[in-house]
Amino acid sequence: MSIDSRKKSSGLARTHTAKHHAGWRAPLRIADVLFTAALIVIAVVFFFPMLWMVFSSFKSNSAIFATPFALPTEIDFGRWVEAFEVGHIGQYALNSVIVTGASVLAILLLGAAAAFSFSRYRFRGRNLFMGLLALGLLLPLQSYFIAQSTMFTQLAITDTRWALIIPYTAMGLPLAVYLLKVYLDAVPDELFEAARIDGASDLRIFGSIALPLLRPGLATVAIFSALSSWNEFLLALLYIQDDALKTIPTGLLAFSSRYVTDYGLLFSALSIVTLPMIVIYIVFNKQIVEGITAGSVK
Amino acid sequence: MKPNRTVTPYLFLVPAMGVFGFAVLFPVIMTFAYSFTEWNGYGAMVFVGIDNYVKAAQDVLFRDSFVHVLIYIAITIVLEVVVGLVLAGLVSVRRRGSLWFRVAIFTPVMLPMVVVAVLWAFVYNNDFGLLNAALQSLGLEDLQRVWLGDTSTALIAVSVVSGWVYAGFYMTIFYAAFNQVPTEVIEAARLDGAGEWQLFRSIKVPMIRNAITVALLLCITGGFQGFDLFYVMTNGGPYGATEIPTTYLVKSVFTFQNVGYGSAMAVVLTVVVVGLGLIFTRVNREKPEEVRS
Repeated sequence: MSIDSRKKSSGLARTHTAKHHAGWRAPLRIADVLFTAALIVIAVVFFFPMLWMVFSSFKSNSAIFATPFALPTEIDFGRWVEAFEVGHIGQYALNSVIVTGASVLAILLLGAAAAFSFSRYRFRGRNLFMGLLALGLLLPLQSYFIAQSTMFTQLAITDTRWALIIPYTAMGLPLAVYLLKVYLDAVPDELFEAARIDGASDLRIFGSIALPLLRPGLATVAIFSALSSWNEFLLALLYIQDDALKTIPTGLLAFSSRYVTDYGLLFSALSIVTLPMIVIYIVFNKQIVEGITAGSVK
Repeated sequence: MKPNRTVTPYLFLVPAMGVFGFAVLFPVIMTFAYSFTEWNGYGAMVFVGIDNYVKAAQDVLFRDSFVHVLIYIAITIVLEVVVGLVLAGLVSVRRRGSLWFRVAIFTPVMLPMVVVAVLWAFVYNNDFGLLNAALQSLGLEDLQRVWLGDTSTALIAVSVVSGWVYAGFYMTIFYAAFNQVPTEVIEAARLDGAGEWQLFRSIKVPMIRNAITVALLLCITGGFQGFDLFYVMTNGGPYGATEIPTTYLVKSVFTFQNVGYGSAMAVVLTVVVVGLGLIFTRVNREKPEEVRS
């Protein structure tokens, strides 16, 4: 799957869409109304569990039991605050931000450097290294997590943030290198040669020419790496027992066994971690869709 | 770009290959090595040849876990890929103002699976769950179930949640692919009097065949690796009805300390997933020049 051809064609699609819209002045017809109604019904069915979750977060246990469909009688964010502070959701979120941020930065930097190496140089072992990374695109987590966990235990890095940052970085690299290399391959050689003739060092060429050119690719890579690190569960479950270091997925699980019967508080915690993701999707929807479709080669 | 005899290219490569080799490649090799041993994770490691693989071949629970995951994959192909295709078709008919629709359908993809799993455990809850309450209000009390506690419904119940999440994911992939179908083709078909359904069935879907193949591969290989939903919602239960290879091998290794046996099962799973991936890559390479997603 080639990125640059997709870039071009999605640009093409956009102009087509624009044309299509300009020429679309259909009058309101019954078919249109029915069509829109169908879309609304589908959207409501999909969205309803989340709506129910937010409503229930404002209810007492007895109200949740007695009238599951009813709107809450009052909107009180007290339980949300309680879940965030007393229930440690804030701490889990902070841990997720640190682990995800560090992993994404490492993926971008190491991935870009490796892509630069593969794209600009021919050297012994190049095909072997590219092949190994390509294999990484196919390898499931199950192929390495058992030995990884014994290794991390022996090195005593379980229950530290490194136990997540290192594997998340390693897991994100193959796709990052693959995508960034495609971007760099499309850059004309002359650009780099000119800088070289001007006496720029390789590091400088990488830093001030390659990295800025890679910006759109880096954004795409950042999005899907961030989403997968943010949501990763199995390794977080195996490597982090210390509650103060748990990320959102494992933290929420701990939370739900701690407050197993306080449904209002549980729904509050679920709402707190869900709503920001909805906002993020609305704001970054273009980049996310691009990241998702690019990530789908994996 | 000339052959370079300096160490420069290696310097750019070393950090990435170092991390990847350390956290992925080396453990892959070690997991493979463990699979020929009997080991509890800390004591003496005993070489047992292919005993673990023989055991896996005869293990009824392991075989059942594959049956379960295949059922799960079959259901999710329908609920994720097919539904996603239909949704993308609907959205692509009228693109204007479709953002709110895509937000509603896509949001679950953004959420950690654990969040989804805890939420849906409530939807299926016996006492106040949305599903049983909905059935009651529709006068369908007979259909009420302890959805996750009933061996006949648990696997389907978990699969439905997966569908709820990933239908939006595949919709997004297909929507992007539909947007690449040349407008001229669609306009020409419209002029010939094709209705929207005909357009969808005879023009749009055939033209995004490659995207559909990719989606099927993702759904199948992703299905074999599914873990989070199963672990949180049922952890293999009730009575092993939702035990899949991943939950089974995690239990073997981390609950029962059978590192060797668990590794052998992990190797089997890896061969299946990588094998499918390689077959697909070959098939896809044979027909390159088409619209890709």
